[in-house]
Amino acid sequence: MTMQTTRRRALALAAGFIAAPALLRAQGDEAIKLRELYAGDNEFSEFARDSEGERITVEGFMAPPLQADSTFFVLTKMPMSVCPFCETEAEWPEDILAIYTRRKYRVVPFNRKIVVRGELELGGYRDPETGFVSLVRLANAQFDYA
Amino acid sequence: MRTLSLGIAALLAGTTAMAQDVAQADNEWFTAGQERVQAELAKTQNTNTARNVILMISDGNGVGSNYVTRLFMGQQAGGLGDDHVIHFENYPNLALVKTYNVNSQTPDSAGTGTAMMAGVKTNIGVVGVNSNVVRGDCSTLPGNTVTAISEIADGMGKSVGAISTARITHATPASMYAKTVDRNFEDSVPEGCTEQTDIASQLLEAMTGGLIDIAMGGGRRHFVPEGVEVEEGTGGRRADGRNLIEEAQEAGAYYAWNMETFAAAPLDGETPILGLFESSHMQYEADREDEPSLAEMTAAAIEHLSQNENGFVLMVEAGRVDHANHATNAARMVRDGAAFAEAVAMADEMTDDEETLIVVTADHEHAIAMNGYCARGSPVLGLCMQADNAGIEHTGEPILANDGKPYTVIGYLNGASSVLIEQPGGEYFGARPDVTNEEAQDIDYVQQALVPLSSETHSGEDVAVYAKGPFSHLYDGTIEQNVIFHVMHHAMTAE
Ligand SMILES: [Zn+2]
Repeated sequence: MTMQTTRRRALALAAGFIAAPALLRAQGDEAIKLRELYAGDNEFSEFARDSEGERITVEGFMAPPLQADSTFFVLTKMPMSVCPFCETEAEWPEDILAIYTRRKYRVVPFNRKIVVRGELELGGYRDPETGFVSLVRLANAQFDYA
Repeated sequence: MRTLSLGIAALLAGTTAMAQDVAQADNEWFTAGQERVQAELAKTQNTNTARNVILMISDGNGVGSNYVTRLFMGQQAGGLGDDHVIHFENYPNLALVKTYNVNSQTPDSAGTGTAMMAGVKTNIGVVGVNSNVVRGDCSTLPGNTVTAISEIADGMGKSVGAISTARITHATPASMYAKTVDRNFEDSVPEGCTEQTDIASQLLEAMTGGLIDIAMGGGRRHFVPEGVEVEEGTGGRRADGRNLIEEAQEAGAYYAWNMETFAAAPLDGETPILGLFESSHMQYEADREDEPSLAEMTAAAIEHLSQNENGFVLMVEAGRVDHANHATNAARMVRDGAAFAEAVAMADEMTDDEETLIVVTADHEHAIAMNGYCARGSPVLGLCMQADNAGIEHTGEPILANDGKPYTVIGYLNGASSVLIEQPGGEYFGARPDVTNEEAQDIDYVQQALVPLSSETHSGEDVAVYAKGPFSHLYDGTIEQNVIFHVMHHAMTAE
């Protein structure tokens, strides 16, 4: 029992982030939390401004997408089971991230943590299909289970 | 307390018969137990008339949630947590409260708010009406409204306030001033409903009519017309085109919406004060920016209301303990719980026990639960740690479950953070995610839950009521929630 725990701790220390999948770990990335992109009311963090245009890795949860066979979904910091487009009353959390995937993706259940890697884009953008307005996005994104 | 303890020590020294016979007489637990008994014997009953009544509700803070907050506050203060005493846990009187609604084993804040503020239990989802109404059906309202403590106080010439960190149109604060067949009628009523207006309009009416002297919270959007944008980018929700903020100002009210305007509020006891600090709910304490804390709002309200020589009735709600529990986000729940404790301490400090009844309670509990057997000092938001057989504090090694993974001290029975994952084909199964002690204590961490639901639920479990001041000793035993009103009412009207 003690052995197991010690090994887990050692791994966690070595990887920096215990749950990151092997592939992303191998690339030397550390998944950041969504909130690290923001600094208060609708302001981007220094990290976000420095990383604009670069590929970064972010952990979070896939909000239930509006349509199948899409290349767009919203990453939330906590699991959110309500489809924000279907429920008019749904309250969007402030720190979210719009994800545009490289190819059509398979939907992941809302409560399964994922890590997403993509190019960071800043600035207002209105999704032509859903009308969803995002301030920050990952483009050409890929994701995996955390 | 300290002087009292010293007095007891001297008293005990004079009667040493028992101390000689009991081997553990010098044990600190033993002497502390003796001191408690002496303190109980020294208690007196306060049968003064309560000039002021302050009802402080932490929404969703049942005995379990409160226990979690106690450990958190104690650990933040550098202790192990368990032995910490939250300010109101020192109050001399306590009862357990049965919170169910007339038609619901698991209650909501509408039915419970009405029980506490009008003295009758009613149905889930309705405010200021009895259980004869059919939820959502306006035609069932006439003849079924109830009189709130605010109206009784107003009739006695007292001032009245309502404060919440939730939307001020939300069920608990609405119970102070509204009568509605549905708690969701925050800015509109269904077509053809002529028997009542929406909750925000009812607040405006209560303020211009002199019933409510100060109201502060969130919910700005419900006071502003659709298509109109006001402070902080708030888009209005009112379909009737009315701007209730402007109407309130035209009627002489002062409007506050951020820290600056809050600080400038004329707390003169005359000007009606309307504070709307967010579009929806006010921010969680952990995220609070440019908004007053619950303690600051409480202090402002008491300063304002206490200028009435006839006294006042004030309802203060920590509205977001409930929301953080719904999100299975215990890290924010305890921080709003701690902010509630500060607000209670503030109210206590600003008032006199001789004439002010302070009632501290919750409207209902949540589906929150505690794992075991966590050793002393296990971080209440973190992992359940192994006991040290040779010491007091845990060993630093988490206890592992049969699946080889550690588990957190707190869990939820249901919620969006369910460990069951929908599989292709629709079946749900899953494995518990691994989690480190550090990850579990992150502000955004959501505790593992069992039953998959979009939002964690309330539970019907008891809550406590803590009280001090006139007639607070009437809170005793296990009571129905509507009794909370009756003690306040008795204290207020006692000759
Ligand atoms: Zn609730």
